[in-house]
Amino acid sequence: MRRAALVFGVALIVALPQVAQGGPSAEPRLRIYAASSLTEVFPRIDRRPSYSFAGSNQLALQVRQGAPADVIASAAPTFTQGLFRERRVERPRMFASNTLVLAIPRSNPAGLRSVFDLRRPGVKLVIGTASVPIGAYTRRVLRNLGLTGVLSNLVSEEPDVKSIVGKVALGEADAGFVYRTDIQPVRDRVRAILIPARGQPKVRYELAVVRSSRDRAAARAWVRMILTNARARRLLRQAGFGLR
Amino acid sequence: MRSASQSAFSALLVLAVAVAVAFLTLPIVAIFWQVGLDGLADGLASDVARDAFRVTLKTNAISMALILGVGTPAAYFLATRRFPGRALVITILELPLVLPPAVAGLGLLAAFGRLGLLGEELEALGLTIGFTQAAVVFAVTFVASPFYVRQAITAFEGVDRTMLDASRTLGAGPARTFWRVALPLAAGGLGAGAAVAFARGLGEFGATIMFAGSLQGVTQTVSLAVYQEFDVDLNTALAISAVLVIASGGLLLAVKALPLWTSSRSTSRSLFARSAST
Repeated sequence: MRRAALVFGVALIVALPQVAQGGPSAEPRLRIYAASSLTEVFPRIDRRPSYSFAGSNQLALQVRQGAPADVIASAAPTFTQGLFRERRVERPRMFASNTLVLAIPRSNPAGLRSVFDLRRPGVKLVIGTASVPIGAYTRRVLRNLGLTGVLSNLVSEEPDVKSIVGKVALGEADAGFVYRTDIQPVRDRVRAILIPARGQPKVRYELAVVRSSRDRAAARAWVRMILTNARARRLLRQAGFGLR
Repeated sequence: MRSASQSAFSALLVLAVAVAVAFLTLPIVAIFWQVGLDGLADGLASDVARDAFRVTLKTNAISMALILGVGTPAAYFLATRRFPGRALVITILELPLVLPPAVAGLGLLAAFGRLGLLGEELEALGLTIGFTQAAVVFAVTFVASPFYVRQAITAFEGVDRTMLDASRTLGAGPARTFWRVALPLAAGGLGAGAAVAFARGLGEFGATIMFAGSLQGVTQTVSLAVYQEFDVDLNTALAISAVLVIASGGLLLAVKALPLWTSSRSTSRSLFARSAST
């Protein structure tokens, strides 16, 4: 009994710090906190780091709360610049751009042919919350096109872009505003309706090294790789990102 | 020597209790400490909070009506009858207890979603469930009902069999026996089960966000509002959380108090009846 208790106690003492650090740290992996829309492309560029994908607003909050991130990649400059002003990250660098599309299920249950069809009553529209970049950009698109009235067709506000894609891919929603790059991974179930250029907001992605990173040199090297490495740039372009 | 090792052991036990209590209460105390009284009032005055509470109370009230309405007779049947496959039926009813809520959400989509198993039939009837308050009710009912049914079976099993037999012998039909004898005697346990199910329904998150989505004033329940507000307006999230802590604490007290209250009441009442007739 006593020996069992002793073994248990020792095991607990040994295990706790391991859990707190997230596993054995023989070779520390970079921790990249990246916007949901980068879910497919970042691991394709480099599968060594451990990634945490979420809405950029949530990533910024997590970094502010002291999350052990080495690099943050945001889908809107607001968040990286805010962290920079608070001296939590080094100077952010823009590394890609994107455009918005309207995603619809291939079956197109609402019979949509353009964004202006969203004005029809009863269309089930899903967008991001106002705080996540895709939600903020979507509201700008609707303002630019004089379509804010379509918000009366809103059935759900989602915390990140991949949740919107999921609801459209499942066919539950008739339409959802997402990034152009989100269509490719689900193109067997979803297709895109283009949005007129005059409606497009400037979607710019920024990378920044987190000051509290355990290995800032490696983090900087990783950012440099995304910005300059030919293969990384090619994969970003193939995924549909703009490079300027 | 022995007493020394005994007291060391007791000290160890006390230490374990202290660690457990501190670990479990600290996050709850921290919520109240962070929000403060002013913050609580401000947070609850926000539209998001008010809409979330309205949606939650409405959907949970409907869910509870469904759970009680269907769950009570089902539990009575399962508690009073023995038939082959009974254990299997009970296990199936209990399955959502151990199912991850995200799986429940996906299951509801696969069954009642537009492209789901019954999607076409529902559409033909002009019924859409996804993204409506009905979807919230479905999600809450799915995850919360086993908490009630399980407790209700135990409560009905606890009813003295001779009371039911006596009722039948004295000429009451099975329905009348259920209403006038079994139900009042099991009321404490049923109330406790309902309180646990309600608490679980209030906290429902995973299945709801997958099946019903999140839209303020329509499908955004308190749990979804806490999640959405935590990076928008932390104060609102904290205020809603504080109210949920109080509500859950109240429900837990109800769970503990209800069986005691009814059992003491029913015994004393039967005692009085007996002494009055002699």
